[in-house]
Amino acid sequence: MSELVVVGLKLGFLAALWLAILFTAGAIRTDIFGRKISTSELAAAGGADPYSRKAIKAAKKLPNKLKIPHGPQAGTTVGLGSPIIIGRSEDCQLVLNDDYVSTHHARISRAEGYDVIEDLGSTNGTFVNNQRITVPTQIGLGDSIRIGQSTMVLEK
Amino acid sequence: MEDQVVVYRKRRGTEAVLMLFSVLICVAAYILIHLDMDNEIPQQWPWALGIGLGLAVIVHVIVRVRLPYADPLILPLVFLLNGLGVAMIHRLDLGTNPVMHSAELQLVWTGIAVAVFVLVLVFLPDYEVLNRFPYLLFLLGMFLLLMPMLPGIGQEKFGARIWIGVTIGGSTYSFQPAELAKIVLVIAFAAYLVEKKDVLAAAGTKVLGIEIPRVRDLGPILLMWLASLAVLVFQKDLGTSLLFFGLFVMMLYVATGQAGYPILGVFLFAGGAYAGYLFFGHVQARVDAWLNPFKDFDTNYQVIVGQFGMAYGGATGTGWGLGRPNMTPLAKTDFIVAAFGEELGVAGLAAIILIYAILVARGLRAALGIQEPFGKLLAAGLSFVFAIQVFTIIGGVTRLLPLTGLTTPFLSQGGSSLVANWAMTAILLVVTHYARRPMQVRSRQRVRSLAMDETQQIPRAAL
Repeated sequence: MSELVVVGLKLGFLAALWLAILFTAGAIRTDIFGRKISTSELAAAGGADPYSRKAIKAAKKLPNKLKIPHGPQAGTTVGLGSPIIIGRSEDCQLVLNDDYVSTHHARISRAEGYDVIEDLGSTNGTFVNNQRITVPTQIGLGDSIRIGQSTMVLEK
Repeated sequence: MEDQVVVYRKRRGTEAVLMLFSVLICVAAYILIHLDMDNEIPQQWPWALGIGLGLAVIVHVIVRVRLPYADPLILPLVFLLNGLGVAMIHRLDLGTNPVMHSAELQLVWTGIAVAVFVLVLVFLPDYEVLNRFPYLLFLLGMFLLLMPMLPGIGQEKFGARIWIGVTIGGSTYSFQPAELAKIVLVIAFAAYLVEKKDVLAAAGTKVLGIEIPRVRDLGPILLMWLASLAVLVFQKDLGTSLLFFGLFVMMLYVATGQAGYPILGVFLFAGGAYAGYLFFGHVQARVDAWLNPFKDFDTNYQVIVGQFGMAYGGATGTGWGLGRPNMTPLAKTDFIVAAFGEELGVAGLAAIILIYAILVARGLRAALGIQEPFGKLLAAGLSFVFAIQVFTIIGGVTRLLPLTGLTTPFLSQGGSSLVANWAMTAILLVVTHYARRPMQVRSRQRVRSLAMDETQQIPRAAL
């Protein structure tokens, strides 16, 4: 082989080596920002845990707000999702300053695909759609809840 | 409005393309070596390509199945380094008379290392299981580290007692237990520091604006210091000693965020190394070879010839097969970097160092990205092992530091090192997979249905 070819091949190899590094750098660059997708797409793409996939899909149809349209604290809104306890005590997630409400009155928690309200042995009772509940009851969008003098509705 | 989340792309396709590119570069190196040395294209090049692509396909498929979100860049870079190493060992084989066949052996070890990689991916679905036995793993790691000091199985080679030899059926198999100790101790340190980081981070007194840890928290760092001194004194190996002490100090810093620890670590190590220099001949010889190599040509032959080789290579090197890297003793192991410097020049050596830098950066990126402390420390620790090793050995060959007997990860000849480094890559990839998985999927927790607690009504008739 001629000298020129040898030098050409040598430089060509080094160029290929640096090209590999440039490709890598390019891949790093496009990797920095990630990709924005909606939660439903994420669910469709499928995470590693099939349970979570279902949970995310179901979560989209669930109410995410508890609003008080009537009562002493009308206009108050709390987020749903993590379990909330409603009562007069300061450690409740939703505090109702109302003599007709027990210290820990009721609990709303999220089960697999729906929300559940449960009376915690209150004196004056918890009403879902004007019916006093005795067992944990499934609630959904549009249901109204009455505790003491307050009425609450589930909204999205 | 729909909720938006930011996720990493899986990028397995990018990984496949980069891996193909790595394999092609390595096969090109193989062909160039023969073109330059024998003036003909080697008969076996389809075999080289086939083996490279075969290994790439195996690794790619297992990662795609087991760790779909793993970092896409780590594997191609490891492939490139491993392949370049095999190519250079092959080139050094051809330079000897009679021709040796250590590149074939290295290829076999690469196969074994890939098998170990696959096994780790299959049997380690979640790195959390490694968090269980910090103290037991620490003892095991320490035992492995100090094992070559045991009489009978410990062997001294090239002035360092870091080998153990087992004689089975007349032939002796030797390996470096420190390579295995690297993995075990990284896991042990990570698990230990997750448990103790809050205590160790407690503020002590301030000296010159730097918080010095409380005296009672200095136990762990002093213990590691003594262990590293024992390695330095009895195994005569500065590199291994520096690697393990440096690793522990860096992980301590990552866990606590206390700048006092690395500062203290530097002083402790400098003090220990200086005492070693005063009292031990082998340390003095290393320092002399570093500062004044040309004073004694015969003793410092290796360092000097390595330097000459790199100088001969210049900016773009002599080209594959056209230098004389065989003149350097241990060119396939400790001085493989000098061989690359000679035949690929500064341009090639800088590329190789950059590849290591990207590899380490990707590991640290995963450490930043992951939410949970054990994964953070594990990824950071594994990256540091690579970083310290590369820094120490390339620094030693280029005379930035005194020369130490550490292996160059993935490049240098040697089975135990190759297998250990591939296993570390596998663990690192498992961590990156968890670091890059979409957040929403990970954070959602199971909520038990209250309906399951409903009181059962049992009819009287049933009683």
